[in-house]
Amino acid sequence: MSSLALMRWLESAPDRYDAGMRLLTLGRLSRVHRAAAEAACAEPGARVLEIGCGTGALTERLVRAGARVTALDHSAEMLERARTRLGERAAGVEWLERSASEIDALPDASYDVAVASLCLSDMGASERAFVLRALAAVVRPGGAVVIADEVVPNGGLRRAVHALVRVPQAALGWLLAGAVSSPLRDPAAELRQAGLRVQSERRWLGGTLALVVAEVPA
Amino acid sequence: MSLRWSDLWRDVAQTALRLVPWPTEPGLRSVGDPGPESPVVVTGNYDLTVRRLVRALRGVDAWIVVAASGGINVWCAASGGHLTTHQVVAALKTCGVEERVRHRRAVLPQLAATGVIGRDVSRRCGWKVRFGPARADDLPEYFANRDQKTDAMRRVRFGVVERLEMACTWAAPTAFLLAAAAAPFRPGWSIPLAGGATALSVALFLGYDRIPAPRRTLFAAGAAILAAVCVTLAGGGAPALATGVAAGLVLAAVLTYDYSGTTPIEGGSHFEERRWRIVLDPERCDGVFSCWEVCPEACFEKRQDPRRVEIAYHERCVRCGACVVQCPKDALSFNDADGRRIEPDVIRRFKLNLLGKRVVASPQGKQGQEEAGTR
Repeated sequence: MSSLALMRWLESAPDRYDAGMRLLTLGRLSRVHRAAAEAACAEPGARVLEIGCGTGALTERLVRAGARVTALDHSAEMLERARTRLGERAAGVEWLERSASEIDALPDASYDVAVASLCLSDMGASERAFVLRALAAVVRPGGAVVIADEVVPNGGLRRAVHALVRVPQAALGWLLAGAVSSPLRDPAAELRQAGLRVQSERRWLGGTLALVVAEVPA
Repeated sequence: MSLRWSDLWRDVAQTALRLVPWPTEPGLRSVGDPGPESPVVVTGNYDLTVRRLVRALRGVDAWIVVAASGGINVWCAASGGHLTTHQVVAALKTCGVEERVRHRRAVLPQLAATGVIGRDVSRRCGWKVRFGPARADDLPEYFANRDQKTDAMRRVRFGVVERLEMACTWAAPTAFLLAAAAAPFRPGWSIPLAGGATALSVALFLGYDRIPAPRRTLFAAGAAILAAVCVTLAGGGAPALATGVAAGLVLAAVLTYDYSGTTPIEGGSHFEERRWRIVLDPERCDGVFSCWEVCPEACFEKRQDPRRVEIAYHERCVRCGACVVQCPKDALSFNDADGRRIEPDVIRRFKLNLLGKRVVASPQGKQGQEEAGTR
C-alpha cells in the first residue's frame, strides 16, 4: 500500500477544482461567470485585468467576448491549467504569476475593467481592503470593477440555513476542490469603502453567490 | 499560567481534527505592548498555530503577521504550496504593520522555508526576512539571544507529547468512523472498535518508527495471521474465518502504512521521491549557509577553508526540500533513484506538494520537458 493517500488527494486539488466548484455551486457558477463577462466586456476590445484567475474559467469567457486580458494568479500550477484550458487563445492573454496584493505595482488607470471571481473570499479583511483600493487605482475613471464571489445571504432564515450548512459545505469544498474560503459578508459595502460606486448586485443559489458591479468615479 | 476554557476546547477539537484546515482571520495581531521597533513574527492562519504562538510569546512585546495559509499549519502549508512567498508578501504589505513599525525585518517560522523564498520576499516588498526557530516555544529565547538560533532550535522534535498529539489526530476520526459504521449493524461493536482504533494509533505513534521497515512488514503479516486465528478460534465457522481474515488485512494495512506526512520521521516507502537523494555541488557552494539555517534535521555542517557546507548526515534527511528552495546558488538539488538531477526550480515551483506532482515534473515525468519551458 502506498502512503499519504489523503495528502495525495488534497494535492491533486487543482485537477478537481473546476468539477468541485461546479458541484458545490450546483452549476450556478457558470451563470455568474457569464453575467460577469457580459458586465466586463460591454465594449469590444476592453482592457480587462483579472485577479486570481485560477483555472481560467472566467478568463476564457472574457477572451471569447473580445477582451484584451491580463490574468494573474499566485499559483504557477493554476496558471498552467488556465493556459491549457485556453489553448491557442492563451497566447493573446498576458499571464502574470503574482498575488493580488502586488497589483499596486501596475500603472494607474491602465485598465478599463477589473474582475475577480472567487478570489476575495480567500483573503483576510485587511488584504481585501488593500486589493480593492488598488483595483480602484489601476482601473481608469469611469471604468468598472466586477466582483463575483461567495457571500453570506441576506435575511434571517437564509442566514440560519447558511450557518447550518456552512461547516459541512466548507469540509466538502476542501475535500473536493482544496478550497478554504470564507464567504463575504457584504461585498458592496467593501467596494464602497474602497471609494467605488456600486451600480448593481445580483445573487444566485439562495443568495450565496453574488455578482457586484461598481464604477470607478471620475 | 491561566488557560481559558475557550482555548481548551479549541485545543482539544483542533488536536482531534488536525487533518482538516481550521482557519483564523489573517491580518495583524499584537502581543504585549509592541512599538515601532518591536519584532515582527510571521505565521500561517491555522487557528491552533496562531493561539500557540500568542501563548509562546507571553512576556514578549511583538507584532504577529498572520498570512493566509488556507487555514493549514505552517509546515504542511509551506510544503503544499499554501504558504509561499506570495502569501507572505501579501500579508506584510496589506496587514498594516508597515504603518506600525519603523524597521522592515520579519522573522518567519523555520518550517516555512520549504515554501517561502526569503530573498524573493525582500525583492518584492522590501522586507528582510529571517527564518527563526523551528518551534514557536523557542522564540522568547531566540529574541533574548539577539536573533541567534541554537542548534536545538533548528531541529524538529518528535517527542512523547508530539507523538501523542498525532496519535489523537489519527485516533479521533478512525474511532468515530468505525463506531459509526458498526452502530447500525452491530451496536455492541462500536465501543470496542473505537477503543481498538485508539489503542492502535497510540501504539503506532509511540513506537512504529522504532521498528525498521522490512521488519515492520513481517510484523504486519504476523499480526494479520494472528488476528485471523484469534477471531476464528473465538467464533468458529466460515463467517468467523472471513471476519478474521478481514481484520488481519486491515491490521496489516495499518501497520505498513507510511506515516511520513504526519510525522517528521520518515519510514521506508514505495514513493518514488522518497528514494531521492540530496546532493551538493561543492563548486557552486560559497558558504551562504542558508541550508544549514533551515534544515529541520541538522543534516549539514559548516566547513571553513574553503568556506562551504557539507552534507554530514545524509541518513537524517527527510527530503523536505527546504535547503534546495533556499540555496541562492542552486548548489543543492535532488537526484532521483537513477541518479538524474531534479532542477532546484522544479522543487521551488512545485514544493513538496509534489509528493506526486514533483515526480511528474521531474525529467523522466511525462510533463517534465514541457513544464520546464513554462513560466
